[in-house]
Amino acid sequence: MEKHFLDEQMEGTPTFQSEPWYNRFGDCVIFQIADEAFVAERIDELLSVYHSVNDGRTIGFQIKGVLAIIKKFGLDGLSIKSETDANELKSISIAALLLAAYEEGPRTLGRRRAYASVMECPVDRRSIPTEELQLV
Amino acid sequence: MAADYACKAIDPSAPDGPKIDVIFPGELTLRYFKYSPVRYMHLITAKYVLEHTERIFFGVREFNDGGWCYTARPDEWHIRENVVAPFPKEMVFAVYLNPNLRVYEFRAERAAKDDAACPEDWQNRYRGMTWKSTS
Repeated sequence: MEKHFLDEQMEGTPTFQSEPWYNRFGDCVIFQIADEAFVAERIDELLSVYHSVNDGRTIGFQIKGVLAIIKKFGLDGLSIKSETDANELKSISIAALLLAAYEEGPRTLGRRRAYASVMECPVDRRSIPTEELQLV
Repeated sequence: MAADYACKAIDPSAPDGPKIDVIFPGELTLRYFKYSPVRYMHLITAKYVLEHTERIFFGVREFNDGGWCYTARPDEWHIRENVVAPFPKEMVFAVYLNPNLRVYEFRAERAAKDDAACPEDWQNRYRGMTWKSTS
């Protein structure tokens, strides 16, 4: 395969990091637990599940329309406060985002299974600071 | 901070006109380089799709106006770090652009049974197809 077109401007040693992050170019939260190719399964308007192409297991997800979810449910309904500093900025709970997204669609068995599968993904970072939520 | 990378692609608003610059945001590509090596390699596949587009869809989000999806079927892709394999026949690679023509997502999806260059259920998930290749 060809040389990567961006290699000349990249420096450092890549290290796979398994934690959810906010993609401000797409207003979505992305999370992957394994660094391998996946096929995305669109569950509904707000959730896509990533399945490994090697063995089909769930290795991640994408929550879409994050700012719209926050607008509808309110920051207080989705956020958690730091336990160490009451004045610190809030963070958005990944679990609360997933539950809010689930409430937006029909309560079908397929959706319930898909949402359950992503909620079982082992997540080290369970929230995203609100200061990171800036749409481009 | 990595610089933005401009890639020439079909103008989704005027497909018969001159090609336009679609941007891979430096912030995004740097993140994939640092933390997700396989997806960093999939940027090569995404660039291939923008340069060899087979279908373009519009209206990709219900809650965010605008946006585009470009699709194509590459010959190969990375399945693990340093492991290249043929791209599966039953899949299509999709590249998603926001209304500012910034790439924000790129991934394999199952291909539609009625058109292997389209993601499955394309008739319901997008507002429409704006362009298809004739070759």
